[in-house]
Amino acid sequence: MRAFEDYCWRDILTADMALVYSAYERERTVAPGPAVLVIHPDDSLVITAQADWANAAQKLVDAARAQGLPVVHSVMAGAKPSAHIKPAPGEAICQRASDSAFLMSNLEAILTRAHAKGLIICGAPMSGAVRATSVEAKSFGHKTAIAEEAIGDEASLLLKVALFDVAHKYADVMSLDEMLPLVRASSR
Amino acid sequence: MTTIPAPWEDVLDDELRGLLAKRPERPVQGKRPVLVAVDLYDLVYDGGPLPVVDLMEKYPASCGEYAWGALPGTIELFKAARAADIPIVHVTYDTRLETDPKKYHPTNRKRRQPDLALYKFKDELAPLEGELVVYKKRASGFFGTPLSAFLNELGADMIYLVGESTSGCLRASVIEAVSYGYPVAVVEDGTFDRYLLNHKVSLLDLHLKYATVIDLAAATSAMRAASSGRGV
Repeated sequence: MRAFEDYCWRDILTADMALVYSAYERERTVAPGPAVLVIHPDDSLVITAQADWANAAQKLVDAARAQGLPVVHSVMAGAKPSAHIKPAPGEAICQRASDSAFLMSNLEAILTRAHAKGLIICGAPMSGAVRATSVEAKSFGHKTAIAEEAIGDEASLLLKVALFDVAHKYADVMSLDEMLPLVRASSR
Repeated sequence: MTTIPAPWEDVLDDELRGLLAKRPERPVQGKRPVLVAVDLYDLVYDGGPLPVVDLMEKYPASCGEYAWGALPGTIELFKAARAADIPIVHVTYDTRLETDPKKYHPTNRKRRQPDLALYKFKDELAPLEGELVVYKKRASGFFGTPLSAFLNELGADMIYLVGESTSGCLRASVIEAVSYGYPVAVVEDGTFDRYLLNHKVSLLDLHLKYATVIDLAAATSAMRAASSGRGV
C-alpha cells in the first residue's frame, strides 16, 4: 500500500500539516465481509472533480457482487438512483433525507440484516454526502474504507480536503488498485 | 445579518467562487435561538497559546494558539447569549470508563489516554447553574444523546453553533442540526481546529452546503434583536 499521505491531497500537504496530523497514521485495511455503499449524488449537482468516479465505483460494485457481498444504494429522498451505477435486482435502495445516508433512514437496519462486517463507501459529493456518511459510519462503529478514485465532488479543493479529513479521522483511504484485491479476497 | 466574513478568502479558486455565487441565501434569524457549544474543555487549551506544532509532543490534543485565539470571542458570545436570555447547551465528551468499549474512539487518532480531568469545561466557558450539558461519545453532539429533545423542549427555532474542531465535532454537529431542520449560524470567531487549511475549508463547506457562517458582531447584534423581539 502507498504511504499514508501519498494520495490525491499530496499537493496541498505542507510539512506542518503532515506533522499536526501524524498521530492518525496507521495500517489500513478493508473489513472482511464489507457491504459496498454507493452514495448516488443528487441530480442537481455538477460533479467536476473526478467526474469519472463512477467507473471506479462500478469496479468495486462488480467485485462485491462477484463475492456475494451486499451492495446498498443511497439516494436522495424521492430521487431515483443516478444513471451512473445501476442497482441490480434485489439490491437495497435506501432513501436519505439529508447528507448522511444513516440519519433518519433504514440503512443501519439494512446493514445489520445483511450481516455486513464493515463498509466500503463510494459516490459523490465527497465533501457532502460521502463525508457525512463516513462520519456517521464511524459513529455507528463500522470499519469503513474508501478508494480515492471512487469518489467525486463539485470542486477539487473540497474533494481533497474532505478526503484528507476522512482518511485521517474516520475511514481507511487507499487506491482502487489497493482495494480491489482486498474485496476479491473477501467473503460473506 | 449583513456581515459576511470570509475566513476562506485566501483558499478560493474559480471553481469555489462559482459555487459561492450559486449558494442559496439562508436566513438565520429566529425567535427562539439556542446556542450550542461543542467540546470547549481544558484539553484543547493545554500548553497555552502556542503553535500546535510546538505543543504536539507534550500536549498532543491541544489546539494551542487557535483555541486561545477563539477564547475571547466565545466568552463575549456567551455573555451576549445570556444577556439576551438565549439558552446555552454545552456539549462535552462522556469520560465515564464504563461507556468506552476498549478499542473504540470517536476518530482514528492514535492517542495516549489523556488525563480525563482535562475534559473539564474551560473555566471561562463553564456552564452556569441551570444550563444544560450534553455528554457524547461520538463526533456529533446529536449522536446517541438527548440534544434533539433538549432543543424541542427549549422551543428552539434556530441554532448558533461554536466549538471545536471545525472539521470534526463542530462540523458533524452542524450537519446534524441542519438535518433535523434547524437553520444554523456558525459563529466563526468561536470555532477552531488544529490546522488552518482544514478549519477554513470546513467553514467554507458548511457555509456552501448547510449553514450560514457569521462573525461575532453579526451574532451578538442578532442575539440582541431576538431578545427585543421577544420583549425580554
